[in-house]
Amino acid sequence: MELVQKEHERLSKRLKASQGIKNVQSTIDLLQSARDAIASDPSQASITLAKLQNPVKSSFDAINDNLKETHSGLNKYSKSLDKLFKDRPLPSTEHDALSSQEHLINRAIAMHLLREGQFSVASTFLSEMTEKKILDQQQGASSDAAENAANFLDIDEVPSNEVRKQFTTMYYILREMKQSNNLLPAIEWSRDNNQALGARGSNLEFELCRLQFVWLFHGGAQGPEGPVSAGRQAALEYARREFHVFLPRYLREIQQLMGAMAFCPNLQDSPYRTIFNNPSAWEDVAHSFTREFCSLLGLSADSPLYVAATAGAIALPTLLKLQSIMKAKRTEWTSENELPVEIPLPPSYLFHSIFVCPVSKEQTTDDNPPMMMPCGHVIAEESLKRLCKGSRFKCPYCPSESHPREARKVFL
Amino acid sequence: MAAELTSTKLNAENHLLLDQPLLRLPHELARRNFKSVQRIVEREKEHILPALKETANASLSHSQTPDQALAALDAMISRMQGLKRKMENLQQEEKKIHDQSRKRIQHLECLHQIPSLADVKYDQWSRARLDRLIVDHMLRSGYTESAQQLAQEKDIEELVDLSVFVQCQRIAESLRRGETKDALQWCSENKAALRKSQYNLEFELRLQQYIEMIRTGDMGKFVEAMAHAKKYLTPYIGTQSTEIHRAAGLLAFPKDTKAEPYKSLYAPDRWSHLSDLFIRTHHELLSLPSRPLLHIALSAGLSALKTPSCHSAYTSPSSNSLSTSTSVCPICSTELNELARHMPYAHHTKSSVESDPIVLPNGRIYGQQRLLDMSKKVGCVEAGKVKDPTTCEVFEESEMKRVYIM
Repeated sequence: MELVQKEHERLSKRLKASQGIKNVQSTIDLLQSARDAIASDPSQASITLAKLQNPVKSSFDAINDNLKETHSGLNKYSKSLDKLFKDRPLPSTEHDALSSQEHLINRAIAMHLLREGQFSVASTFLSEMTEKKILDQQQGASSDAAENAANFLDIDEVPSNEVRKQFTTMYYILREMKQSNNLLPAIEWSRDNNQALGARGSNLEFELCRLQFVWLFHGGAQGPEGPVSAGRQAALEYARREFHVFLPRYLREIQQLMGAMAFCPNLQDSPYRTIFNNPSAWEDVAHSFTREFCSLLGLSADSPLYVAATAGAIALPTLLKLQSIMKAKRTEWTSENELPVEIPLPPSYLFHSIFVCPVSKEQTTDDNPPMMMPCGHVIAEESLKRLCKGSRFKCPYCPSESHPREARKVFL
Repeated sequence: MAAELTSTKLNAENHLLLDQPLLRLPHELARRNFKSVQRIVEREKEHILPALKETANASLSHSQTPDQALAALDAMISRMQGLKRKMENLQQEEKKIHDQSRKRIQHLECLHQIPSLADVKYDQWSRARLDRLIVDHMLRSGYTESAQQLAQEKDIEELVDLSVFVQCQRIAESLRRGETKDALQWCSENKAALRKSQYNLEFELRLQQYIEMIRTGDMGKFVEAMAHAKKYLTPYIGTQSTEIHRAAGLLAFPKDTKAEPYKSLYAPDRWSHLSDLFIRTHHELLSLPSRPLLHIALSAGLSALKTPSCHSAYTSPSSNSLSTSTSVCPICSTELNELARHMPYAHHTKSSVESDPIVLPNGRIYGQQRLLDMSKKVGCVEAGKVKDPTTCEVFEESEMKRVYIM
């Protein structure tokens, strides 16, 4: 990388110092002065012209020399690039399963743009897609009706207005929250979706209300400059009005909040300072709001496209190495549904529990589910069948014996 | 968890796999630019020097009046001025390319400063990369407007090649409409580089022109077509003899013939074939990969992330044992789920489950501590009971049974 940088710098420097145009100008000057000389004294024409030959020729040579230098600079830069990317060709294009699913990729991109809040780009993208589709339809107008129907289905697959509306709402709430410290839209949303949030075991509504309490406590919209007592009063009123619904679940937390009232003048030294002076509180709440919002839509909080593309970039070196080894050894990739190598991803990229059967070393699937024997050890169904051969058998991990009938299917 | 599974070390050199075209493309452009400079200088040199000599000789032998000499000099001066103007333009162009390259090198250099994949800076860098990949994909699919807008909003215009793709799309589009002019002009601009190309774009274009002349069915046009073939097709006789013979045979067949291969020569979808051929040649010349980088990244990423559970009938995407507290798995998320359906899943050699797994009477396995915490949070569960977050069934705490996962 350093080499590339150095060569490139050299190249730019050379460009700045380039004499090419100056040489051309000097040639023009030569011709011009010769012309003037001839114009003023036509009798000297032949001598002036004869004298002109060599200087013009040499200035062309100078231009060419200059070009040669630039050429060698470019070549050096090429070499440094080759060196940087040596042994790192782009993956071969043999297995391109994605090109046939262009519309799905486009859909994913549109969703990504929407969830990143790039509404104007997203709408341009969607309208360009529709335009293209209409164009395609016109070209294939002679094709039968079934195909047309399929095309229309594709349009439905593109994120509908509903999703867009949802994300507009989300960004509205987030903007209110972050820019004007207004939690009310978020609280309203979480009340509307109370049940679904509860089913997920989410604290979102309480967290929002608690932050609202803290915000009021610190003086609310007037900021810390306002009278301290007014803030306390407002917070207390808010608690009386709103907190009773939370009592069964969050009694302890509410007690803490109320207890803090007593420490009002010197909260800094009280045990409650973490609740009241948490600089990242707003960030945290915004983050958990985004997560819950997306989860209710059946979407992950981080853009899947981002996670997948990043994971892809991490995985590519390993896959490429695999490809080159397979080519060198002329072996084929035998497991159709599974990658042949383990790919080292950071732990945050692990989203599911993974069960690898300790006997067969295979991952369990719907067709080959994990089975738990009465002793509590789990192996894959196929391994179980192979071990027991229909009769009682010993668990491979402990002395207990059991009948295959007693093994139960489990879900991870 | 296996040690290699948790590695977050960032190997920048390896990580740049996807970013080759980022530096290669401006370099190819710079080379092309340089070639143009070389060509125009050479052309002027070839013209001026002999012309000067001739004028001087003529002047010596007195076969020319001074006025004629003056006129000749004037012509030379104006040519040189033209040369200067052209060179200035090309130098401007070169400067722009170099600036772009510098920004790109800086962008890639940033990656070398980041030690770990868990770093916040890596997150930012990777987001910028995704934006680049999306713009690349949009440009290749012809969604120019969106690509421009996205590049502008994300401030990555220096890192994407808008103008290159716009030009490429324009020519490809003109071919699809049945016009060869733009494409042929592009061919003549890149004549030298095309000689090394593995595709015969120019021959195919000339052949198409020939076919179009024959298609008219007009005798006058036939003569013109033969002249055209003699001029443009026969130079390729060494490599394309079958095609040329076929082209000759085409003269005998009307445009609605059923006989192959003449039927397919007349076929209108030859134009879209030509358009694809042009795009392939164009990308080859600028060392661009033939398919969008986003596809490459995605197909690797989808497989690396996919697990058998992602398309399982038994686990719901929003609440399986690991994801309730974190977030929905990206493969399970609606955007990518369909796309990943036919991808292979990642290979794992070790199970990874929570450290305190228990099984509920319905066969679901969860981490005990987390299940208890969650049941407490859900609230509507009485003390001493737990709720299965997937199926919403409620069980006694005593019904939880330890399970051993190796």
